[in-house]
Order: sequence, then structure tokens, then C-alpha cells
Amino acid sequence: MTLTETPAPPAVVARALTKVYGEGDARVQALRGVDVSFATGAFTAIMGPSGSGKSTLMHCLAGLDTATSGSVRVGDVELTGLSDRRLTLLRRERIGFVFQSFNLLPSLTAEQNIRLPLDIAGRQADETLFDRVVETVGLRDRLAHRPSELSGGQQQRVAVARALISKPQVIFADEPTGNLDSRSGAEILSFLRACVRELGQTIVMVTHDPVAASYAGRVVFLRDGELVTEVSGPTPETVSDTLVRLEA
Amino acid sequence: MLTTALAGLRAHRLRLLLTFVAIVLGVGFVAGTFVLNDTVQAGFAQRVTADAGKVDVVVLPGEGGGELPEELLERLRALPGVSEAQGLVRGSAPVLGKDGKTAGDAPTTAVSVVRGRLDRTAVVAGAGPGTDDGAAVLDENTAEAQGFRIGDTITVLDHEGDAHRFRLVGLVDTGVDQMLAYTGAVGFTVDTARRMTGAGGYAEIDVAGAAPGLERAVAAAAGPAYRVRTGAQLADELAAAAGANTRLVMLGLFMFGAVAMLVAALVIHNTFTILAAQRTREMALLRCIGATRGQVFGSLLLESAAVGLLASVAGVVTGYGLAALTLTVLASLDAPLPTDAPIALTPLAASGGLAVGLAVTVGAALLPARSATRVPPVAALRDHVGEPAFRAGALRWSFAALLLVAGLGATAVGVFALRPGQEVSLVVVMAGGVLTFLALLVLGPVLVRPLGAFAGWVPRRLSGVPGRLAVDNAARNPKRAATTSVALTVGVTLMTLISVVTVSTRASLTSKLDEQFPIDFLLAAQTGEAVVPRSVAARLRGRPELASVTQVREVRAKVGGERLDVGTFSGPVQPYVVAGSMAGFRAGRAALDERTAERLGVRVGDAVPLETEQAGTVSLTVAALLDGSRSTLPPVTVSARPFDAYFGAVPDSRVMVAVRDGVAPERARAAVDAAAEPYPQVRVSSSTEVRGQFEETLDMLVMVISGLLGLAVLISLFGIANALSLSVHERTRESALLRSLGLTRAQLRHMLTVEALVLSLIGALIGVVLGLGFGWAAMRALLDGAVVEVPVAQIAVFVVLSGAAGALAAVLPARRAARSSIVAALAHT
Repeated sequence: MTLTETPAPPAVVARALTKVYGEGDARVQALRGVDVSFATGAFTAIMGPSGSGKSTLMHCLAGLDTATSGSVRVGDVELTGLSDRRLTLLRRERIGFVFQSFNLLPSLTAEQNIRLPLDIAGRQADETLFDRVVETVGLRDRLAHRPSELSGGQQQRVAVARALISKPQVIFADEPTGNLDSRSGAEILSFLRACVRELGQTIVMVTHDPVAASYAGRVVFLRDGELVTEVSGPTPETVSDTLVRLEA
Repeated sequence: MLTTALAGLRAHRLRLLLTFVAIVLGVGFVAGTFVLNDTVQAGFAQRVTADAGKVDVVVLPGEGGGELPEELLERLRALPGVSEAQGLVRGSAPVLGKDGKTAGDAPTTAVSVVRGRLDRTAVVAGAGPGTDDGAAVLDENTAEAQGFRIGDTITVLDHEGDAHRFRLVGLVDTGVDQMLAYTGAVGFTVDTARRMTGAGGYAEIDVAGAAPGLERAVAAAAGPAYRVRTGAQLADELAAAAGANTRLVMLGLFMFGAVAMLVAALVIHNTFTILAAQRTREMALLRCIGATRGQVFGSLLLESAAVGLLASVAGVVTGYGLAALTLTVLASLDAPLPTDAPIALTPLAASGGLAVGLAVTVGAALLPARSATRVPPVAALRDHVGEPAFRAGALRWSFAALLLVAGLGATAVGVFALRPGQEVSLVVVMAGGVLTFLALLVLGPVLVRPLGAFAGWVPRRLSGVPGRLAVDNAARNPKRAATTSVALTVGVTLMTLISVVTVSTRASLTSKLDEQFPIDFLLAAQTGEAVVPRSVAARLRGRPELASVTQVREVRAKVGGERLDVGTFSGPVQPYVVAGSMAGFRAGRAALDERTAERLGVRVGDAVPLETEQAGTVSLTVAALLDGSRSTLPPVTVSARPFDAYFGAVPDSRVMVAVRDGVAPERARAAVDAAAEPYPQVRVSSSTEVRGQFEETLDMLVMVISGLLGLAVLISLFGIANALSLSVHERTRESALLRSLGLTRAQLRHMLTVEALVLSLIGALIGVVLGLGFGWAAMRALLDGAVVEVPVAQIAVFVVLSGAAGALAAVLPARRAARSSIVAALAHT
């Protein structure tokens, strides 16, 4: 192993990020100056108790929501001040999503769902990549099925395939196993980890499940809108312990 | 449950708003028609009452018509208790326009203007003729149309066609008298009026007097041959007669109102279906905590009743406004209607509008409310309510097949089995149309997918993913898509049908005229009386500009016991012979119009007696039967020379002229005008002018009808907007997912616009097909040998406008969808 390799610049960087909802008495400060960066080619989990602001953080990082102040950079693009149109194009080009539920359009087949981001962007699919992704997620014989004909785990695998197909700079996964039984959940998580290791894909996952978080290489913890600690090389036990400490 | 229903209303305020507007428009139209009708009728009554109030007793000719003799007037004047009695004269006296020809489409009616308290003339400018036998008054419209002003000299023809000159001293208003409004009126002193019209007596005698029992005294003096009425009775009769025409128009308006309400019903049905579907979990929760099916059903019905009631009240108010607006427009157009009566909202009009609105709303909500009761309580616990799957069951298929067979069968019977031109054929065809429409209503959900694919062919290819998704989405809930589209179908069907019928009528009539023989000019009097001197035709025959001259002359005579028009012709006419033959047509032979022969009960070869003026009764052998609808010949035609022997040298009734090819129209016109110039009653009309007027009238009719049907289309657009905004609502998370995957706001708006476009095109396509089919059937039922023409351009405009309107309906829902925050929508469960 040599040390001459310069580390790649981080895929996503947030600086002094704040987010405020509402006004007056209803004012809620969801993020209170978060500084965090996510390394390229890494699998990072964001954890925290309910209401800690982990989903808000993810939404701001992914350009789904705009922060009240602070800055977010995805690759070399500064998100602050981008118009809705530019944000949309950025999501289209550089960001992939896997949500907890309702990941797929019910009227499209699995294959159409996988190709959807490229179709929206009017781009040609990289057919080798498509074949590889389909092979990896093991959906070859399910491509012509509609979501209603797929199991929850299969649906989520289609969602992951869709996120991979446009070769995004980063994939944001929001509780991707929240609706799955533990076997399907484990399958998806292993698969996500494989994507990071084998394809060099950057993944940021929001979860409240210590087991899910343990699949990541690094876990960052939020509490009351602030980044409080992080754990590298987590196991379910270390994550749980940290959580319990935070909630105490 | 009342609280629940009302809370439901509040929660879905916006959703119900569009339904509300649809009901308001429909009820507004119906209530507006009520108000308009009431106001106009009240206006008629008011006018005639004011008029008749001046008169105590009126004597009119008996049922058979005729005149009231001078002697009767003298007798009435001598009756005790009669303070005054006046005879009113009425008869034709054509006013000449500035071009020296009789003015207007019908001879002007001359009336006498009496003096004193019995004078009922409404002088609006200048004065009445007073005692000046050389003075005349004209009605405002005629004066304006012909450009006469007070102080001008006007020329009027008397009953013998001789011209007399009068000084115009005043203008009058014809009031509610429909006949005077149509013919125009010229008023003289009683003596002049009698001289001009050649009337031997009076059309009416008005009596004033205060004695009790005056009516009985007058009736006793007049005898049973005449009708005697009090002023009040006369007012009622006049009002009823004047209102009869308007009532027909109102009936027509009510039919349009019914169409509008039908469309509104479809829109309401759709909205409540969607509301019920969206609230499946809510309904299930209510059932979980102990609500019975009846209570769920009742709460939805209550909700619809509340919406219906509110919207109907707003509709009645709208109708009142619409009627006021219409009256203002009518008044500014000088329509021959009383527009000055106070606009009245009678209890009947108000309750009628409310009842219609309420019944339609609750009726349309019945089915959705019933299906809401079928929601099992456990549905409240289910996480996700899936897409409503649709499968056409056997019941639907057989029901649709039954309706379709009945509808098409009835249509085929109307077109092929029944005789064209009869009312019953048209009624049968229309009934077939309604049945077929119902069949399509039942089949709609099945048709939506293929039709959507067809209508969406272009957008699917042109606009990438948004287009493709839009086309899929349009037909995603086939039942809803069908109801939404079919609401538009109603309007488009009727519009297409009307335009096919008018264009075909025009084509059929023109082609018949052209086939018969080409007429370029027609010379005839306003009344069609035989007044064109034969010398006119003789002069025309000498003109090199003209190719042919045909004379037709007619008199009234008794044929087989019936008074009919008997006539002859000379010139190049090729009659349409249905039976027999015109070969060797000579004295003692007659050609009969088919219908006339049917009436007389004679066939080819039979003999019919004809009472002539100069040759006694002669017996004619029927040589041929002619197709009356294609003939310009009289019902009973004999050959030219015997006609003169029977009736003398009668002038021509009409002269038809064809221009030689290559002659400039202006030169031909000058030649024809020159021949007719000395005779004021002989009016020259060119077929292009007549056709132009005919087409203008038809175009006007199409415009008015399309405008009225436009309301139905407008309501259906609210339906599209409604269905779309509900779909947008249902697919909030789906839209958010697409947006997070990189769909821009513009693309999302575009997607929803295409969806609306596809929905409206489905409706328009069904409408065009139905309209074409039944336009064709109606034409075939209306007219034998009708030429059916398809107004391609007009129909294309309907389709394009429907699509555009549909896209317009998508503007607001699309904007709302595009604006909604992705994060909030994703969190939405």
C-alpha cells in the first residue's frame, strides 16, 4: 500500500447549515449550523433520535429543500442560491434517491422505472451498465412486471437499480429498509455496501436502525439539529450504545 | 353524522368549488330562462292591458274571418250607453322603398289611426295623421330600414297596385303586434286606409261607454256572427297570442338548459365518486367506530344536498342576472319583444331552479354514495389504498350491447324503413341517438384506453417521458376518465350534429335548385301573387344576355272539391316525374304534386274535376305525379294554352331567368332590372343573393346554437379541471418522486396539460363520431335524397378547440402541482 494516492475531494460538503421552519411561537430550528462532509466512494449513515433533523439534513444536502443559511456543495457545485430549475437539473445529473416507500411509479414496469431518470433527462442508457445493474440486483426476470406485482424487497431493489443507472455522484437513501422485513432489509443493505465497494458509489443513508447503520463505513449522529458525534467502522452494538447515550 | 357531513364539506371546499360552479351554470341557465320567460310574458300582458284599457267592448269578425260592415258600426254608435265607437281598418298597402320597389319581405300592413280616446296608436315621433287624408305614419323600423324621415314623401301602392304619395308626419311603435312587427305598418286616416286597402268594412270595432251590461247590449246588437269581447278579455287573448311564439323559443332554451344540467350531472357524479374514493379510509374509520352503512350513505347524500342547495341558490341569482343581461341586449337590438317590464323572479322560477339543481346534484351523488357504503371497516387499517382496478364485467358488456343494438336498430329503422320527412322518422333516429349515447356511456371505461392511446399518439412521440406518462395517466382510472370525457362528448356531439345538418341542408337545397334548372334571377311580387305582366317575360326573351326565361302563373281554384293552386308554366322546366309521364302534355291533362294527389286520393289515369272561371267545370286526366319537394311547379299543373282558356290572360306569378354563360353578372342584372323597372311590385332577386341570405341565416342559427351548446362544453371543462386537480391530489407523492428524479416544474406542468388534452380529445373524438353518424341519420330522416356533407373544417375546429380548452382547464391544477414542495409531498401519506 502506498501513501502517494491523494484522497479524492469529498462528494458532498455542508458548512454552517441551518434550517428554520415557521415563525414566532411556531418557529422550529431543525438544523443549527451543521458542518459535515461525505467522502467520495464511502457509505455513510446519518443517525439520530426522532426530530433530530436527520431527514431535513438529507433533504438540504440533496437539493430537495433549501437551507435557511450555510452552504452545501455537491461535487464542485454550490447549491446555495441555485434556482429551482438548476436544482432539478443537478438532481437529474448528479444525485440518486432511494426512499422508504413509494419509490416507484405504479403505472410503469420495473424496467421503465429503472430507466426513468435517464428518460426524463433525455439521455441514452449505458446498456452495459444497465445489464450489470439488473444482473447485480437480480431482477432480470422481473423487468416486465409492474410494482404491484413485486414484493417489497424487489421494489426496493428496483429503486436502487434506478438510482444507480444514472451514475450519480451520490445516492441518498432515506430509511431504505424501513418498510422491509429483516431478510429483505439485509439483502438491500448488503447490496448497497457492494455498490460502494465494487462500483465506488458514494451513498449517504438516513436511518434510525442501528443494524442498518452498521452496514455503513461511518455513522454521523445528530441531536437537536446539531452534529454531535460520529463512529467509524460501526457495529450494531457501538451504534446502539452511542444512540442510548445521546438520548439519555 | 350531520357534523361529519358538514366537516366533510369544509375539508373539501376547494374540491367542491368546481362542482359548485358547474351546478351554478346549469341552474343559472334554467332559472334565467324562467325569469326571461316570465318577464317577457309580463311585458306582453302589461302592454296589451294598457292598450285594451282604453276599450270597453270589442267586436271582432267571427271564427271564419271576414269583415265588419259599416252598417254594424252605425248600429253600435246608436246604442244607448255607447259614448264612442270606431272601426279599425287593416289590410295590405305596400310601401315603396327609395329604389322604387316594394319595401321589405312582405307587403306593409296599412292600419287606420283613429282619434279620440279609442286611439291605441303609440306615436313615438311627430304626430298622427289627424284628419289629413294626405298624411301617413310609418313604424320606426320600416322608416329606419328605408331611410325615411318625418317630412319626407312616401309612395304607397293601393290594392290595385296604383301608387299614391303621402307626407310622412310621424313614426309609431308597433308594440307587441307580431304581424305588424314583421310586415311593417303604415297608418292613415280611416278614409284613406279604406281607400288604399280597398276594405269594405273593418277588422275590428272598438266601443267605449260606461253603461252597465254594455257588453251584452253590444253582443245583442251585433248578433251571433261576430265575436264580442270586453277590453280585459281582448287583452288576455292578445297576450296569449303574442306569447305563443316566445314560448316556443323558451322551450328551445329549456332544452339547452336540460343539456347543460345533464353535463353538470356527469361532472357532479364524477366529483362525488372521487371524493368517496379518496375518503375510503375515512369512511372505513367511521364504520369501525360504529357508523352504520345507512349513516355513511346519508352523510354523503347530505353533503351533496348541501352543495346542491348552495349552488342552486347561487344559480338562481346568476339566472336572474343572465336574464337581465339578455333583456338589455335584446332592448338594444330593438327586438320585437317587450323588454321594459320589471325583471321578475317569481316563486315558481326560483323554486323551479332550486328543485332542478337539488334533484340533479343529489341524484348524481346517489351511486357514489352507495359504493361508499360498501367500504369494509378493515379498510381503515390498510396502509395503502391501491389503484382502482377496472374490469368490464359481463353485466356491463351485455347492458352496453343491449343499448347499442337498440340504439343502432332504432336509427336504422328511422333512416331506412320509415319515410323521410316525417316527424316520426326524426324522432326515432333521435331516440336511437340517445340510446347509442347511453351505450357509449356504459362502454366508456372500456373505450378510454384505446382512444387515449389514439389521441395520445402525437404527444407520446413528441414530448418524451412527460408525454408518455401523461397518456398513461389519462386512462389510469378508466371509469373516471370516461365520465370526465363523456361530459365533453355531449357538447361536441350536438355541435357536430348541428353543423352536419346545417351544411347538408344547405347542400341539399342548393343541389336541388341547381338540378332543377339553373335560376339566376327570380322576378315575383312579395306575396307571390300573379302580378308580373306577361310583357316582362316577353321583353326578357328578347335580351341576348339571357339563356332562358321560364314563366309560372297560378290561380286558386277548386280541384276535386278542394281549393288549390292551379297553374301552368312555359319555358325549359324538366319536372321530376314520380309516376306517369309528361310526354304529350296537352289540354285535358294535369300533372299533380305527389302529396296533392295523395290528399285528393287520385292516381295516374284518374280524372279530377276543375272548376274554371271561363270554361265551367272541366274534367282533367292525371298524366303524371311530380316530386313536390324538388318542384317549382304549382301543385296542380296544366298546359299553357288551356290554362288561358280556363282562367283568362292571368299575369305571371313568377318569372325565372337563366343568364347566358360568359355574360358579366352586372350586365345581366341591368337587363333584368330594366325589364322590371316600370312595375314597383315586381321584385328582382338573384339566386346568389337569396343563397347568400339563406346561408347567412343558417350561419347565424349555427352560431346561436353553438353558443348555447358552448355552455355545456364550459361545464364539462370544469369537470376536466376538477378530475385533473383530484388526480393531481391523488398523485402528490408520485409527482414529488418524479420531481426528485429530475423532472422540472415545466415538465410536470406539461405532463398534466397533456393529460387534460388527451382526456378532452377522447371526449371530442367520441363526440365527432356520434355527431357525424347521427347528423347523417338525421339528414336522411329529414329529407328524401339528402346530400350529406361533412363540414371538415368546422369539425376540425371543434376538436382543436376541445383540446385547447382541455389544456386550459389544466392550467390551475398543473400550477398547483408544480408549486407543491417535494419534501412535504414525500412526507405525505
